[in-house]
Amino acid sequence: MDRALLPTDFAQWVTAVRRQLRFYVRTWRFVGLLLFILIVDIAVTAVGLYYGMKGTSASDYLYGALGAMPTLGVIVGAFIGGDAIAMDFGSGTGYFMLVLPVRRTVLLLGRYAAAFLAAFALLLVFYTVSLFGAGWFYGLGAIPWVEVVESVGLAALFALAVLATAFLFSAFFRSPAISMVVTILVLFLAFDIIDGVLAITSVEPWFSLLYAGEAPALVFESQPHLTISPPISGVTIHSWNPYVWEGAVIMLGYFVIALVLSVVLYHYKELKG
Amino acid sequence: MSDTSIEAHGLTKNFARGRSALLDATFRYEGSGAIGYLGPNGAGKTTTLKLLTGLLRPTHGSALVNGVDVIQHRKQALADVGAIIESPEPYPSQTVAEAIAMVAEFRGGRSSDIGREIDELNAKLDLPPLNARCGRLSKGQRQRVSIAASLIRDPRVVILDEPTSGLDPKERILIRNLLNDLKKDHLILMSSHLMQEVTEICDQVIFISEGKILLRDTVENVAARFRTRAVEVEFATPLLLDRIKALGPMVGDVTVVGERRFRIGFDGSTSARAEILKGLVGLAPVLSYQSATLVLEDAYLALMQGDSQNQSLAA
Repeated sequence: MDRALLPTDFAQWVTAVRRQLRFYVRTWRFVGLLLFILIVDIAVTAVGLYYGMKGTSASDYLYGALGAMPTLGVIVGAFIGGDAIAMDFGSGTGYFMLVLPVRRTVLLLGRYAAAFLAAFALLLVFYTVSLFGAGWFYGLGAIPWVEVVESVGLAALFALAVLATAFLFSAFFRSPAISMVVTILVLFLAFDIIDGVLAITSVEPWFSLLYAGEAPALVFESQPHLTISPPISGVTIHSWNPYVWEGAVIMLGYFVIALVLSVVLYHYKELKG
Repeated sequence: MSDTSIEAHGLTKNFARGRSALLDATFRYEGSGAIGYLGPNGAGKTTTLKLLTGLLRPTHGSALVNGVDVIQHRKQALADVGAIIESPEPYPSQTVAEAIAMVAEFRGGRSSDIGREIDELNAKLDLPPLNARCGRLSKGQRQRVSIAASLIRDPRVVILDEPTSGLDPKERILIRNLLNDLKKDHLILMSSHLMQEVTEICDQVIFISEGKILLRDTVENVAARFRTRAVEVEFATPLLLDRIKALGPMVGDVTVVGERRFRIGFDGSTSARAEILKGLVGLAPVLSYQSATLVLEDAYLALMQGDSQNQSLAA
């Protein structure tokens, strides 16, 4: 047996991605998310088709349909990546995986890539149903395919950012369940509340991942960066829309910073108790 | 010098509030054989094994496997190591075959060989059905899968933390036989609470308590040093305790163990042991006559007692 010949880091990464992806798509949470997206998206599209809510153009229709992207992306990312690191340190999985001759960074990046592929597959289902609706009303020829590609690219970046953030949160907990719940609360509720509070100030929520998540829809229809509503009871509401490039930069920032921190924490974390 | 080795140099691990789980542990083993790592709960056994597999980072000192520092070069250090620490759990949605194959792939196994190697391990370990999901296995079945995963690709260094924990007697015998076979050309370091298991498998032992190594030696030397000082005798017919006491000065304390069974203390010498047997045979037909406890158990108890006395004196 060729004992000394361990596979390269890249070969081990490929193994990690393949094995981990199989793990993700077999979980009930993946099946549940797939059903959730299919049911909700098909139902919303069907209602739109029935009542003729088709907007003014294929772009307008897609802008409306993809408005749910920030919420959906966060739910998918948090459910898939919310326990990524906690699972190794809060259950026996770590004792199975971390004694293997594989760099922890390779293991984590393999898991991250697999989580991304699983999450992105779910988001593509969402896009497919939305494109079906646009094609139904306006025909395939009317669909702005260049913008679709750009939007899908931004959705991929959004998934990368949400997953990196979810991975980072999961490094701070031992219980996979608690880790997942906290990730959902922070990414979904906390950002939503902060965005809401900031609407009564003049501060742009440039640090909010949910805010950046609007970019994939904004590709289809540009909106004013800032809309100030007339004061109601003395309160002025500021409605912000990110520039597409701005959304991309915010996502990129989350992706890079959260992923690097996740890798560092995973590398140095000890398996105690 | 053999290229198969396990080393600890001043290995120390402090947890919160400066509590030392392991204090200045130093040892080196090379070649092949089995080393038993013994001590009470919380003694530092698992901490040591975690440090040797890179699951924990030492506060001071270093851990080397096959001459490679586990913290500095983790991948290379663990390249030829199979380990079971605490209760490993494969991914629940993986089948038994997938879990073991994954480990083999990470270790560089070719897909053409992996199936055959899994079949070989299946024959030795009587694994659960290879297509069963790991999440649905019992604790004992999962433990056997973990043992198989640790042994796939035949790593020459095997580190085991209470490997028979959660196994039934039949499974324990299976593992014991496997380890006895394996130690001929592998280096095994195993922690255990089961003295009999260590006696039957290991050639050398390390006793640890309160994070400190109390004794390191071969099982033979430990046996010579901590000779058993009691025998148990079973008669074919009931007998009065006083009749045994009256055998002579070589008889120490005598206690009743069962209706026809007695435990007899003596000075530990071979001559006294033989003289007592001679006397007992004269009293009634003897069914059995053997050391009252296992040698390692005696050594363990003596060492732990000594350690706790030292602790009290120090306090």
